[in-house]
Amino acid sequence: MPRPLHPVPPGTRTVLGIAFFVLFVAFWAWITLGGHVNRIFLADPLSMLGDGWRLLVEDRFWLDILITIWRVFGGFVLASIVAVPIGIAMGAWKPIEAFLEPFVSFARYLPASAFIPLLILWAGIGELEKLLVIFVGSVFQIILIVAVKVGSTRRDLVEAAYTLGATDNGIVKRVIMPANAPEIAETLRLVLGWAWTYVIVAELIGSSSGIGYMIINSQSRLATGQIIFGIIVIGLIGLLSDFAFKALNRWLYPWSLA
Amino acid sequence: MSKLLIEGVSRTFAGVRGGNPVQALQPVDLSVAANDFITILGPSGCGKSTLLRIVAGLEAPSTGHVLLDGKAVIRPGPDRGMVFQSYTLFPWLTVAENIAFGLRERGMPERERNEIVASYVDLVGLKGFENHWPKQLSGGMQQRTAIARALANDPAILLLDEPFGALDNQTRGLMQELLLGIWERRKKTVLFVTHDIEEAIFMASRVVVMSARPGRIKSDVPVDLPHPRHYTLKTSPEFSMLKAQLTEDIRIEAMRTAQSV
Repeated sequence: MPRPLHPVPPGTRTVLGIAFFVLFVAFWAWITLGGHVNRIFLADPLSMLGDGWRLLVEDRFWLDILITIWRVFGGFVLASIVAVPIGIAMGAWKPIEAFLEPFVSFARYLPASAFIPLLILWAGIGELEKLLVIFVGSVFQIILIVAVKVGSTRRDLVEAAYTLGATDNGIVKRVIMPANAPEIAETLRLVLGWAWTYVIVAELIGSSSGIGYMIINSQSRLATGQIIFGIIVIGLIGLLSDFAFKALNRWLYPWSLA
Repeated sequence: MSKLLIEGVSRTFAGVRGGNPVQALQPVDLSVAANDFITILGPSGCGKSTLLRIVAGLEAPSTGHVLLDGKAVIRPGPDRGMVFQSYTLFPWLTVAENIAFGLRERGMPERERNEIVASYVDLVGLKGFENHWPKQLSGGMQQRTAIARALANDPAILLLDEPFGALDNQTRGLMQELLLGIWERRKKTVLFVTHDIEEAIFMASRVVVMSARPGRIKSDVPVDLPHPRHYTLKTSPEFSMLKAQLTEDIRIEAMRTAQSV
């Protein structure tokens, strides 16, 4: 066994990471192709790929993928635009925090999925309702995390800025905001991951398009291959957007890595 | 008229969890002449940093007041530049942008700003590092940038809170010479807090020794060693005599601190 906390070389890391995927698929293939589970409940990897191919080519599944991506980003961007300024204001000005923090902390525990029936009543089953589900699910989380990060801005940097003649507004604009920008971006990356779970829930109920709709539709036809393909697509898109977000952060905030 | 006047300044911290209030600083009177280099020497926890922070306006005194050029200090401002012990460069700004921070806050146009920044980059010997992030610099270079950043604002007084405390001995010696060299050429009123006796004597035209907590001024020792000072001064007999005297003063206070813990 390696020593605790001892780093692993990059090459070995990649090999180990891939190895688990291989093992996982091998196990899946063994229980399905080997006849250890009923075909009706779990499709094997090969027919899953076949189902996926058919979905994309014949059923225009890529349109569902696009609409789901649009919903995630639409709701997420909306939530970010509202939540980030509120979070910064809460972190920077303690009376605002005292005013809003209890409510936001409460609202954050309200499950977004429980709002779906209400949102359908208010906004129908169109796009607005889908965006609102993601909005409700993300907005309070972002507010709270941003407020905490901003509230823990290094005090010595704030003091240094004051001794250099910064005004109170200057402190917020030129110390608090840039100091926390990378962490706020990191928070958004995290919450974007959660937004992907909300969108699927939103699409499972009262929807006629999207990856989640395809999944619930496949269930009624016992098309487990399609369901698994849909889940894998979500995972892949999540992974890609995460990589893109990370790269964007690295490019925007080179000073935080250096 | 003195540049800086500290009159009856004391500081008492509220007790923690209903405990008794703690007095960090007994009433202190100090008058600093223009272009004087004063070091405040004292054992750790004697309230010397508190005194400096009160002058900076970062903390309010419990009693008394501070006058700079006859004007009362109520809040921090660009007339009192400060260099902290911790590295307080803004990590998202380059060396040049850090030095320009105060000028930018003042709304100075970029061209003018760049000229001043270039001259201070030169002064602290950081040519070629203008576009580095603070993280890419050594501790000594970061503190040099911090000094340049404070000076670029042309403050009426420069406050330094153990600025070289986190540096290794060799770097610290070089930084002392650098700062002293700047002071000898440019003349500035300086208040420099340290617990290092050698540093206190080498830099100062006056060493103010503080007692153990609650701090008060115990002695005020003029240092009449000639300028420009060279590091070899530290081994001269005059220097050694001063050092012996201050060591004795501080030792008593350090022992008092050790016993009270």
